[in-house]
Amino acid sequence: MALIYSFIVLLLASYINADKETLVLLDNLAIRETHSVFFKSLTDRGYSLVFKPVDDSNLVLAKYGQYLYKNLIIFSPSVEEFGGSLSVEAITKFVDDGGNILIAGSINSGDVLREITAECGFEVDEEGAAVIDHLNYDVLDQGKHTLIVADNANLIDAPMIVGAKKTSPFLFRGTGLIADKENPLVLEVLTASSTAYSYKPDSHIEEYPHAVGKNTVLIAALQARNNARVVVSGSLDFFSDEFFSSPVQKALQGGQKYPKSGNQELSDSLTKWVFKEEGVLRVGKVSHHKAGEKDAPQYYTIMENMVYEIEIEKLAKDKWVPFDAKDIQLEFVRIDPFVRTVLQSGTDGVFRTEFKIPDVYGVYQLKVDYTRVGYTFLNSATQVSVRPLEHTQYERFIVSAFPYYASAFSMMGGVFLFSILFLHYRTNEETKKKSE
Amino acid sequence: MTASLTTVVTKFYEEYAKTTPSKLKLIDAYLFYILLTGVVQFLYCCLVGTFPFNSFLSGFISCVGSFVLAACLRLQVNPENKGQFEKISPERAFADFIFAHVVLHLTVMNFIG
Repeated sequence: MALIYSFIVLLLASYINADKETLVLLDNLAIRETHSVFFKSLTDRGYSLVFKPVDDSNLVLAKYGQYLYKNLIIFSPSVEEFGGSLSVEAITKFVDDGGNILIAGSINSGDVLREITAECGFEVDEEGAAVIDHLNYDVLDQGKHTLIVADNANLIDAPMIVGAKKTSPFLFRGTGLIADKENPLVLEVLTASSTAYSYKPDSHIEEYPHAVGKNTVLIAALQARNNARVVVSGSLDFFSDEFFSSPVQKALQGGQKYPKSGNQELSDSLTKWVFKEEGVLRVGKVSHHKAGEKDAPQYYTIMENMVYEIEIEKLAKDKWVPFDAKDIQLEFVRIDPFVRTVLQSGTDGVFRTEFKIPDVYGVYQLKVDYTRVGYTFLNSATQVSVRPLEHTQYERFIVSAFPYYASAFSMMGGVFLFSILFLHYRTNEETKKKSE
Repeated sequence: MTASLTTVVTKFYEEYAKTTPSKLKLIDAYLFYILLTGVVQFLYCCLVGTFPFNSFLSGFISCVGSFVLAACLRLQVNPENKGQFEKISPERAFADFIFAHVVLHLTVMNFIG
């Protein structure tokens, strides 16, 4: 009996935590210790982490067509080749099928990492290159100015991704990323300051560095069109216990000393975003009807008033709660949008608006397309048909044609009057003749 | 130039008043009324635009048609033209006039919308 109960509980538990299954690939198992605070914070939030060395020959993401993990953490910057059935194609397919990835690089990043990030829209600088900043390095730097301090001002303005405003700057030691500015899905979460550049620390600079100034991205993010999220950090040390607890002080100009870096807070917010705890929206019920009615009709007629309601929910702590926003727009489109209005947020996450159907008939779509930084892409399209007026729905008498109606009737009246006068007309001579 | 124009007009008006029989004068008054209605309608259409074009056409055609029929009646009833209309007595002319009017107004009512 107890066995059956425990079996059922286990089944339920595995069902509830399906979204928290995470595979962690490590260069060497020492990383598990040096990043213990980071991993502990994940397990505290309910993630079930599976640690594997990256060249393990039994690595597998999917079994019998089903993915075993929803999230992937690649903390193995210097990997040359993945073990088991993992490969760049398998990881790319993992993202295409909706999986989320957190990747950390370092100064000695392998080419495999370059290939994976290239698929996601970022370029990792060449092997051996580090982000160097001669004006913003920490007091604890070893002399090469590679342990840099990234200010809060260089953080992207997206509370969904990076959380609330941070007070301390961040410590960073690693390689730089270059994000394609033309790509609309790529976000530069943390950039270096304008005095930074990315080059091999020990070589003379003979050619122009690949990344210079604010173009050097330290942490980049991507939300794919299927809402899968990828975050790439150029520094594995960013997530280490050492950086989490270290104080921050810029070496030059007597910089202010902060007792604790902002790394832990930022990595918390980033993992909440990338593993789809925050900023996830979904569309619930969509309904439309004529103003004053309750059910959706078979078709609408032009110039009618129509009411549209959509329910949007947000994920908060594993529960779907009503969402609130003031800028969700509705488009009433027939090839081109005829009506574009803002939806009013009501109680319990139902957004509603009322508008007048235009004077043009056809097949329309009610489109809600909500794309905001940090949120999943929301797309909803409902098709409705709008018919022209029936023959009996037109006005019977047109006011501007009244003069014409009047003239036609007056002509008829005129003929009638004229014919009476004409037939009974008698001149004086005729009356005289008659009287004789 | 203007002197001769005014003399022509006054002379025409005097001749008309003296020589035209009263029956024809009645038809002339009726024609003038139709003319006025037609002109007013046309001016209204020029001002407001041709929106219910069918209504405009119908009203205008009713004026024009009535004018034409009344003019024909005047021609056929005028005793000076008796030579040209030997087979058509004034009563027959009036009957034709009424019949044509019935057809005209039927068409106008159908087209006016």
